[in-house]
Amino acid sequence: MILEALEREGVEYIFGYPGGANLPIYQHLHEHPKLKHILVRHEQGAAHMADGYARACGKPGVVFATSGPGALNLVTGLCTAYMDSVPMIAITGQVVSTQVGRDAFQESDVIGATSSVTKHSYLVTKIDQLPRVIHEAFHIATTGRPGPVLIDICKDVQQADAERVNTEYLEIPGYKLNGHVNLDGARQAAQALAGAERPVILAGHGVLLSHAERELMQLAEAAAAPVGTTLLGIGAFPVKHPLSLHMTGFMGTGWCLKAVQNADVLMMVGMRVDDRVTAKLSEFAPNVKTFIHVDIDESEMGKNVRPHIELVADARLALEAMVPQVTKVDAGRGKWLGQIDKWREEHPLRYRQSNGQLQPQDVLIDMYKRARSEAIIVADVGQNQIWAALWWNYDRPGLFINSGGSGTMGFALPAALGAKFGRPDLPVWCVAGEGGFVMTAQELSVAVEHQLDVKIVLLNNRSLGMVRQFQDDFYGGVRSQVDLTHMPDFVKLCEAYGLPALRVEKFEDIAPAFDAAERTKGPFLIDFRIDPEANVYPIVPLGKGLSEFREAPEYA
Amino acid sequence: MLEIKPKPAVAAPQTHNRIRVLSLLVLDGQNTLTKVSGVIRRRGFHVRGISVGPSRQPGHSRITLQIDHGHAEADLVRKQLERLVEVVEVEDLTGDDVHNRELVVATVAASELDALLKRGAKVLSTGSDGTTVEFSGDADQVADFVTELARHGIVDVVRSGPVVMRRSE
Repeated sequence: MILEALEREGVEYIFGYPGGANLPIYQHLHEHPKLKHILVRHEQGAAHMADGYARACGKPGVVFATSGPGALNLVTGLCTAYMDSVPMIAITGQVVSTQVGRDAFQESDVIGATSSVTKHSYLVTKIDQLPRVIHEAFHIATTGRPGPVLIDICKDVQQADAERVNTEYLEIPGYKLNGHVNLDGARQAAQALAGAERPVILAGHGVLLSHAERELMQLAEAAAAPVGTTLLGIGAFPVKHPLSLHMTGFMGTGWCLKAVQNADVLMMVGMRVDDRVTAKLSEFAPNVKTFIHVDIDESEMGKNVRPHIELVADARLALEAMVPQVTKVDAGRGKWLGQIDKWREEHPLRYRQSNGQLQPQDVLIDMYKRARSEAIIVADVGQNQIWAALWWNYDRPGLFINSGGSGTMGFALPAALGAKFGRPDLPVWCVAGEGGFVMTAQELSVAVEHQLDVKIVLLNNRSLGMVRQFQDDFYGGVRSQVDLTHMPDFVKLCEAYGLPALRVEKFEDIAPAFDAAERTKGPFLIDFRIDPEANVYPIVPLGKGLSEFREAPEYA
Repeated sequence: MLEIKPKPAVAAPQTHNRIRVLSLLVLDGQNTLTKVSGVIRRRGFHVRGISVGPSRQPGHSRITLQIDHGHAEADLVRKQLERLVEVVEVEDLTGDDVHNRELVVATVAASELDALLKRGAKVLSTGSDGTTVEFSGDADQVADFVTELARHGIVDVVRSGPVVMRRSE
């Protein structure tokens, strides 16, 4: 019954783990050869795989877990998807309905534990609810602002039979979809942007989710307005475009931050305007006279920054409505763009190349040359994530996947495997630090079992690099609990799991190692022993405003 | 289960400019109240008064909430509640022309009840420990009534949350 419904929803992959409370579902799995089940090694891995799958191919990721510990192991993965608006369906087994509330074996209040990290959730105690619930769940997960939906199904319901019901007709009175554009608002926004002396557009994940890249480009070019992206918005606007400001936020590029801090009109599209984008809120964009906010979720309006013009709408429809409304572009625009070019020259991205140690940027630059904008890169969390964000020139959407909102260490490996299932036609690279990598390294078994062609780039600095950098720069240089000298030999670890791996310690060995990885079909890991003192720059000191960003020293 | 900021039953209610009065139409279901209260808690709001009862529509309930919106913008309470699929409709009645009714039931020791009856109290029962009366009114009237009760020797007192309806034009 459940599996049939999933087939009807067009599900191809299920990432899951069986247990006592979902046995009745697994019993019938073999009768549904269209549903490919990937047995993970930990439920968190299943959630991240489904997440990576969904981000890579756009279809909702589907997860199975049993009750109690199985379902609770999903929580971090659900939160990761929730924070980044990723469509996901989690189907968890629950104890028999008559046992609910009796502290039965492996019983836990899954709805209670997950309601703050899901878009919606259902506890199904009667079979007649099930067909409607599954169809509704897919609708809610994939429409509007997408997100994870959890369905907790009692074991006796899984065993019951139900009449097939007509699920074409959906009535969800409490589900409000904001799609339509207020045309007056769109006209005001377009004119404010075009008429501004110093406009800036910031684009977030919503632009990618609504496939508004073309409309964004049209608007930016029509209004001659420069465009920065958030960490999750990377790919929404090509980095090499003359109007590109690259990435914004507290680890954004110097020229983008200067532009934001000096702008008089700031348009924020498909983004939450969180603290990583604003840094100190009271000092964010202090010269802006008109904030324009476009987002499909009304609750984002004024949550952090109160906009003067707000458009609660799908980003693509909103931008599409704005483009023809751009009439007269302010005469001072050439001067503003010239100023930004000057800032671009004054505040370039740079790194230390001369101390004889392997630099992470060297690794990423070599990788980028090979990928030629035709590979998906899935980053973990920490320094590796920001390096991967800044040192690749993303010029197409959907190539950079990372856990932006939740910042979940351990995300990259399972998400990269999920991304490969979703997009088998594209090369997939996983970039991770050694700290995050070992948090979910057990999923290497899945890579080997399915011979997934995922190349794992370990930027190994033998420490928790981002925390170490914060301690050095903002906490008086007291290094506390960041030393990761005692880690497995990753080449031997891979040998134990059954995949080839190499260790690289010198610059000259980068290219041969990548050559070897590219020659090998299936998973491959390269353990790059990078400079343990390498830092992320620019960076805004914690608690400070964006104007106070610190840059990399000018290395000799 | 609900995080209700305790307000002493006999103290005059604090008038507070951060209080919103919301009327919610919600789907009946075992998770609805948990989810509503969960959103209120994790967005940094506080419930100052709540009442739940059936609505005119079958399968739906009416929740009346008085909420302190904390450091967030006032309108965010409504927006956050509207995101819940269980919540069909949120009406913000703050400052509107409304009927706002609260109920108080009290047992007092005194036998001379004229002052209470003059205010509109109704006697429910008389027993060995005193007389039990009920009174309903808006928040200010109930507060005045409770002050009056105190002069009659309160044995026990319970108060409801508010129910609020827009006045018909």
